[in-house]
Amino acid sequence: MQTITLKHTLPLVFAQQADIKSDIWRQEVSLERGKFYLIEAASGTGKSSLCSYLQGYRRDYEGEIRFDDRDTRSLSVGEWARIRQKSISTLHQELRLFPELSTWDNIQIKNNLSGGFRKDSEIRDWLETLGIADKAEEKTGRMSFGQQQRVALIRALVQPFDFLLADEPVSHLDDTNASLVGDILSAEAKRQGAAVIVTSIGKHMNLPYDKTFHL
Amino acid sequence: MTLVWKLLKQHISPLQLAGFLLANLFGTWIVMLGVQFYRDAIPLLTQDDAFINQNFLVVSKRVTTATTLTASSNTFSTSEVEDLRKQPFCKRAAGFTSSRYKVSASMSLQGGTPLQTELFFESVPDSFVDVQQAEWNYTPGDENVPVILPRSYVALYNFGFAQSRGLPKVSDGLIGMIDMGIFIHSRSGGAQFRGKILGFSNRLNTILVPQDFMDWSNERFEPGRTDEPSRLIVEVVSPADDAIARYMQEKNYDVEDNKLDAGRATYFLRVVVSLVLLVGLLVCALSFYILMLSVYLLVQKNTHKLETLLLLGYTPARVARPYQLLTIGLNIAVLVLAFILTLLCRNYYTDMLTLIFPQMETASPIAALGAGCAVFAAASAVNCTAIRRKVIAIWHRKA
Repeated sequence: MQTITLKHTLPLVFAQQADIKSDIWRQEVSLERGKFYLIEAASGTGKSSLCSYLQGYRRDYEGEIRFDDRDTRSLSVGEWARIRQKSISTLHQELRLFPELSTWDNIQIKNNLSGGFRKDSEIRDWLETLGIADKAEEKTGRMSFGQQQRVALIRALVQPFDFLLADEPVSHLDDTNASLVGDILSAEAKRQGAAVIVTSIGKHMNLPYDKTFHL
Repeated sequence: MTLVWKLLKQHISPLQLAGFLLANLFGTWIVMLGVQFYRDAIPLLTQDDAFINQNFLVVSKRVTTATTLTASSNTFSTSEVEDLRKQPFCKRAAGFTSSRYKVSASMSLQGGTPLQTELFFESVPDSFVDVQQAEWNYTPGDENVPVILPRSYVALYNFGFAQSRGLPKVSDGLIGMIDMGIFIHSRSGGAQFRGKILGFSNRLNTILVPQDFMDWSNERFEPGRTDEPSRLIVEVVSPADDAIARYMQEKNYDVEDNKLDAGRATYFLRVVVSLVLLVGLLVCALSFYILMLSVYLLVQKNTHKLETLLLLGYTPARVARPYQLLTIGLNIAVLVLAFILTLLCRNYYTDMLTLIFPQMETASPIAALGAGCAVFAAASAVNCTAIRRKVIAIWHRKA
C-alpha cells in the first residue's frame, strides 16, 4: 500500500457542525508511504475515530477513505484481515494487550500470525533496550501502563507494514523511554520504508516529521 | 494456535460441557440403539422360508361357531378368488388342492419304531414352491413322492414321540435318513409310496406334495370329484402392507401363516422405533441447545479478547476455529461413546433374543454408525456455523 487518502471525511457525530476547522476533516489529505506524520488533536476532536476508521474497526463517517485506489468501504472481512497483518500496524491508545498472557506471549501471538516475522533474539533485544527484559514472563495485567505501552510497541513491530499507526504511543513514558521508543520506531519504519502516523493530544514523540496536521 | 487457545479457553465451564456431553451422548445413543435394534429385529419378523417365498400368504375362511352351525361353506368361490386377485397388494393367488382320499403315513429314523398317523396332502401350483423343478415333480407310477413337511410336524415327532420312546431326534441334517411310508386308501383301492422329504417349512401347516402327484392321485383314487379350494396361497407385494390386514378383516378371512402377524409386528416395531428415534433426536436437539448456549456465553465472556485478536489481524475463521474444534471434539467423543454403548447394549439384548430366536443373526452395526455419524455431522455443521456467525457479529461489532 502506497497511499492513504481521506476525501471529505467526517465522523457522523460531527455532521451537524458547520464550523469545523481541521486539517483533516472535510479536507482532501494524502498520507504517503515512507513519510512521518504527526496528528495533533485536542480532546473530542475525533482522534480515536480517525484511528478506528483507518483500522476498519468503525465505519461511522461520511466522505471517503481510500487505500491506494480502493474505497475502504468495499473491503471484505478477509481483505481487512490481510491489511491488518501486512499493511497497517497499529499501536492502540488503549494498548489492547491480553492481561492474562505474559509479555512474551503477547508479542508472540502477533509474531506467530506474521509467520515468525521477527526472530526471538530481535524481540529480546528490544525488550532489553526498553528496559523490560525482566518482565518477559510477567503477565502484562500486573505491569504498569508505561511498561505495557512498551510491550504494545514491540508487538506493533513484529509484523510487516506500510503504515504504522501509533495512537498516543508515549502518553505514559518518561522522556528517556519516549526517546528510545521514538528511535526504535523510526529505525524500523525506515528499514521497512513505511510511513509512521503518530497522534498526540499533548506530549509527542520527537521524530523527523514530514508534516503535522491539526485535527 | 496454542497461544490463541490458551487465551480463548478461559471461561470454559467444564460443568456445562459435561452437561452437554451427557445429554448429547444420551440422545445419540438412543438414536443409534433404535436403528440397530430395528436392523437386528426386523429379520426375525420377516425371515425367509427355504421353500415358500416370504411374500406368500396362506388364506382361509374364518371358522366360527356360527359358520359351523349354519354349515356355510368355508371354501372359496371363483368370484372370491378373482376379487382377491384384483387387490393392489396381490401379485397372484391360487387355491390349494386337497387330497380327496385317505392317507396314513409312517415316519421313522432308519428302521426305528415308526410314528404312524393319518394325515392329508395338499398341493399348490409348482411355481409357488421354491424348489428346483427337477426335484419337485412326479411321474405317474413312480414310487417316490417328494414331500415338504411342516416344521411343527417334526416338533411333534421329536418332542411328542421320539422323546418318550428314547428315539433319536430329527433335524435338518438328518432329513436323508428319515423313512417315510405313505399309504393311500380309497374306495377304488389303495397304494403305497415312499415319501422323499425335501425339507421342513416354517410357514406351511400342511404336508405339501407336487401338483402333478395331487392331480394324478386324486384322479386315480377318487375320480370325478372337484372341490373348491378351502385355502388359497397368495403372493403379495409386501407382507408388511397393512392394507392386507384390513382386507382380510373385512372379508372375514384368516391368514394361517404368521406373515400377517409379522406385518403387524413389523408395523408396530416401526412405530416404536420411530418414536424412539424421535425422542433421541429431541434429546440431541436439547443437548445441542445447551452447547450453543454454553458456547455463546463463552464467546460473550471473551468478546473483548476475540475483538482484539481480530484487530491484530486474525481472521474470523481462525478465531472461531478453537471453539469449533472444541465442539467437534466433543461431538466425536459423543459419537464414539454412543457407538460403544450401542454395541454393549446390543450384546445384552442379542443374548436375550437368541434364547427365543436361536437362528438370530445380528445385522452389521454400519446403519447405526451411519445414523450416529449423521447426528454428528448435522450437530457439528450447525455448531460450527453458529460459532462462525457469532465471531463475524463481533467483527461487525453487533455481538
